[in-house]
Amino acid sequence: MADMVHVDRAVARRILAGDEAAFRELFDRFFPRLYRFALARLNRDQEIARDVVQQTFCNAIERLDSYRGEAALYTWFCQICRNVITDHYRRRQRGAEREVLLEDQPNVRAILEALAAPADDEPDTGVWRQQIHRVVEATLDALPGHYGEVLEWKYLDGQSVIEIARRLELGPKAAESMLTRAREAFRIAITDLAGASDELTGSLGSNRG
Amino acid sequence: MEQETQNSHDGSDLVAALIRRAGRRTDPPEAAYQQVLTAATAAFREKTAKRRGRKLMLWAAAASVAALAIALLLPWNTSSRNSQVATVARVIGTVELGDGDGWKPMTDSGGALVEGARLRTLPGASAALALDGGASLRLAAATEVQMDGARRMLLRSGTLYLDNAGNVGTGYRIETSVGTARDVGTQFELHVAGGALRLRVREGRVEIDRAGRLMTGSAGEQLDVDALGGVTRSSIGTADVAWQWAETIAPAPDIDGQPATALIAWVARETGRQLRYQSAAVESRAAAVILHGNIEHLAPLAALDVMLATTDLEYTLLDDDTMEIRTRTEL
Repeated sequence: MADMVHVDRAVARRILAGDEAAFRELFDRFFPRLYRFALARLNRDQEIARDVVQQTFCNAIERLDSYRGEAALYTWFCQICRNVITDHYRRRQRGAEREVLLEDQPNVRAILEALAAPADDEPDTGVWRQQIHRVVEATLDALPGHYGEVLEWKYLDGQSVIEIARRLELGPKAAESMLTRAREAFRIAITDLAGASDELTGSLGSNRG
Repeated sequence: MEQETQNSHDGSDLVAALIRRAGRRTDPPEAAYQQVLTAATAAFREKTAKRRGRKLMLWAAAASVAALAIALLLPWNTSSRNSQVATVARVIGTVELGDGDGWKPMTDSGGALVEGARLRTLPGASAALALDGGASLRLAAATEVQMDGARRMLLRSGTLYLDNAGNVGTGYRIETSVGTARDVGTQFELHVAGGALRLRVREGRVEIDRAGRLMTGSAGEQLDVDALGGVTRSSIGTADVAWQWAETIAPAPDIDGQPATALIAWVARETGRQLRYQSAAVESRAAAVILHGNIEHLAPLAALDVMLATTDLEYTLLDDDTMEIRTRTEL
């Protein structure tokens, strides 16, 4: 974790030094996750989510000098996104309507932020009680590196390890190892989250059965 | 190799089942991606341009301290180094100078600008600076610049025009959030807004360095660089109406006691026209005419109208962007 945060600090330094390739890489890595993160917290309003993520990037870049690596860079972006969302609701005086997600509860947040420590993301989805989809999505987003993508390629696209290896420009053994780690990270995360939610525990129980 | 598919009953089935049940994660719309990328890229470039500006100032400050230390240590007293980089030659409308974190109005021309000075024109205003390097810098309305040195400046937003013709120095360097422009003895206009940059070259050549990628604009070319680095080239005439704002704010030369040829050459240059005399005799005639008075606050062609009215010379603007000087036919 410390190594990954160290990597995040290096990425921030490269961006501040004007390395546009580093900026673009970070943007492509964070944008979809932040978008989902915002969407889930804004009643699925795509236009507002887009504007919130745009403001998040602008604020984060402006304050990037202040990033000290205490948390993963993605977690840091998520916190800025939360602030932008809070501002949005404050402006619209819709605080009472604000959706409070399970992923935003302190214990669940701690789990997802621990996952994000490497550099990836955090939760995103919606009302967890009703939609497993959202929780899985958030969990995949919170996994470090390419873990989320690897699991989707494997289980949704049915790609072989060889195909995944080619896609990531890795050797087959390295790809297989990554897939194993990704699966394990997902399993641990979802189990931990299940412990944080009776409802999800029930869902997982039915899956196991 | 595909052992993971065989690892049932150990949690893999649960992972696969959950992911399959949940389905694919929501992909953001492409339009949202493009819009946010454009804005974020602009913010990134603005941020890095600001940091570069601060570093230059720190370097300048460090250099000043070093120079002071050397001066104190030397047994003889050298004259203090002048950090003036430009003089305000002309102002139309409201122009403001950076004052700490704020701005204060600049009411008079002729003032000196030192390294680090910030200047901005409000809507409807424009300004002309005589740079100590010899060039003429003009700022269109709603433009903000920071003078980082005698040949260096930061265009934060808006439009500037630089006329460095005939100067064979090291050229001028203009930083923007989108890229850095370096002139190669030329007249050009640079506009930056919203992460995009527009370069119009009237004469000579200008190099743009955008994140290490070099682009060159030549006379008669317009380059539009969008926030994602896409470049569109088009042509623009040297006498196109687009240059008019720069002509309007052009500081008039002192022509009192000068030959008409000096005024004519200035007007031709400011209006982007090739100068042609009808004959060698007409040129000799223009050289012999000595002008009196001043053309302050007059646009170039208006100045020419006024001054030539008292002579037997006249000018014609031809379709090929040429200005021809001839003697009045009725005389």
